[in-house]
Amino acid sequence: MIKDITIGQYFPGNSFVHKLDPRAKLIITVLFMVLIFMCKNFYSLAFMLVLLAAAIAVSKVPFKMFFKSLKPIVPIVIFTTILNIFYVTGGTVLFSWRFITISTKGIFTALFMAVRIVALIISSSLLTYTTTPTMLTDGLERLLSPLNKLHIQVHTLAMIMTLALRFIPTLIEEVDKIMNAQKARGADLESGNILQRAKALVPILVPLFVSSIRRAYELAFAMECRCYSGGEGRTRMKKMKFGLNESVTVLLSVVSIAAVVLINNLFGKII
Amino acid sequence: MNEIVLKTEKLAYVYSDGTPFRRVAIDDVSIEIEKGELVGIIGHTGSGKSTLIQHFNGLLKQTEGTVYVKGKDIWANKSDIRQVRFTVGLCFQYPEYQLFEETVAKDIAFGPVNMGLGKEEVDRRVRQAISFVGLDSSYLDKSPFDLSGGEKRRVAIAGVMAMEPEILVLDEPCAGLDPKGRDTILELIKQYREKTGSTVIIISHSMEDVAKLATKVLVMNKGRVVAYGNVDEVYSRHNELVEMGLNIPQITSLFVRLKEKGYNVRTNIYSVEEGRKELLSILKGGREND
Ligand SMILES: Nc1ncnc2c1ncn2[C@@H]1O[C@H](COP(=O)(O)OP(=O)(O)O)[C@@H](O)[C@H]1O
Ligand SMILES: [Mg+2]
Repeated sequence: MIKDITIGQYFPGNSFVHKLDPRAKLIITVLFMVLIFMCKNFYSLAFMLVLLAAAIAVSKVPFKMFFKSLKPIVPIVIFTTILNIFYVTGGTVLFSWRFITISTKGIFTALFMAVRIVALIISSSLLTYTTTPTMLTDGLERLLSPLNKLHIQVHTLAMIMTLALRFIPTLIEEVDKIMNAQKARGADLESGNILQRAKALVPILVPLFVSSIRRAYELAFAMECRCYSGGEGRTRMKKMKFGLNESVTVLLSVVSIAAVVLINNLFGKII
Repeated sequence: MNEIVLKTEKLAYVYSDGTPFRRVAIDDVSIEIEKGELVGIIGHTGSGKSTLIQHFNGLLKQTEGTVYVKGKDIWANKSDIRQVRFTVGLCFQYPEYQLFEETVAKDIAFGPVNMGLGKEEVDRRVRQAISFVGLDSSYLDKSPFDLSGGEKRRVAIAGVMAMEPEILVLDEPCAGLDPKGRDTILELIKQYREKTGSTVIIISHSMEDVAKLATKVLVMNKGRVVAYGNVDEVYSRHNELVEMGLNIPQITSLFVRLKEKGYNVRTNIYSVEEGRKELLSILKGGREND
């Protein structure tokens, strides 16, 4: 259960997508997310999905991995689909009974929303599967570095993110260990009403907080010992290169904005 | 022969089965442990010791095989598994990280309260457990987070002892302690067994400690049991043990070397004191060969 969390999981590989500069990947992913919401008919939607499928194929990340990342959002998709079917009205009415009306526009919207959410998750998974957390936050830090002018501490934020991602597996392992230790003393985590279950979490959460705080202190100490003092004047071990590959892929993504707008207008909008 | 309190049959466990990270942690483990025994489990890091003992109280469910506690398959009835955890008390490595209550007394009481015992019985067990680990009752009202590392460890062990398990299993109870803290813990465990007559299973890295304490030794290597028997039997296979990366006690290897050089000495020597006696008897009595 707890081990199914795939956020921040990297799937090692050596593909074109893996090698692409993280900044380019971030830009493309954001563009993709905007575009998938700009699609107003099936043709443009299909166009975007083909692009996504192509990117996945190039990345060589097994399709199975994407199903895994979709599992936790199934309830959200079902919920929004139902909501959209009943609440969106317009187009021809297909079914009407008392206060319930189902229209073509409702069904289309529901369908589009479901596809968009799924595409959203898949595209962000593709990003995290093909980019190590450090590369990702590094890329983010550099993309956002202009914000430094507004006195926003981009480096600090990026460092916080790197550390948080780094510690997710550690925390999961820790929870596992503590749970086992308390179960060995007869802790009952599986039965009882909500109140009892909440109370049963105390023996797990207290040791977890204690050890997290201890870890944070130790980490801060170790970083200070290595003369870490924030982003100012800090050089990098790995140089990032925004080369030809990056420029071309970003350019192509920008072109696809035009393509989507064109297809939307050419074939008529249905939502 | 004594009653067999714990038995495993062809036990196997695979981590992350069906993924690229699949790993066979233990395989084909069949052992029998008699009542009142003190079994020392030794083996290289990653040899599957911790995985094995988590099967004894059903924290892990085996991929293959069966675990019997007092003759009963522990997984025969899934809802009885909590009961098994009270019969087989398991104390993890670094147990001090599981402390969570405001006071030592409340923390030690966690197990007994989960067993559904009455207030007076819980109180009796808490007091007994704290004395088992050699701390006086003034500790009971302290916060466990204010104690020293060694004291925390002892309180955590007391938390398992307070359940009065018939079988007490400890995973590296001395890990990370200084030599004095180590000796204290081992001595307390020994006394606990003598006082209560319970069966004790202890994982240890130190072959010296195991030799001193255990009545039986179980050696694991790459997930399999490679030797199981009394201390002399197992330690006489020193060459194999060294090959597996286990350090036999220094004093033992000294006598093994002496024997190889042709001196007529015993090799089942595990403490410096014993070694001294053996050497003296040779020097005086001249039991040298030829
Ligand atoms: N939670 C886990 N997930 C995956 N593999 C594990 C896990 N725990 C242990 N292992 C693997 O199982 C093997 C046995 O580990 P363990 O029982 O902890 O050995 P020991 O206690 O003898 O050091 C090791 O190779 C280890 O990598
Ligand atoms: Mg271990």
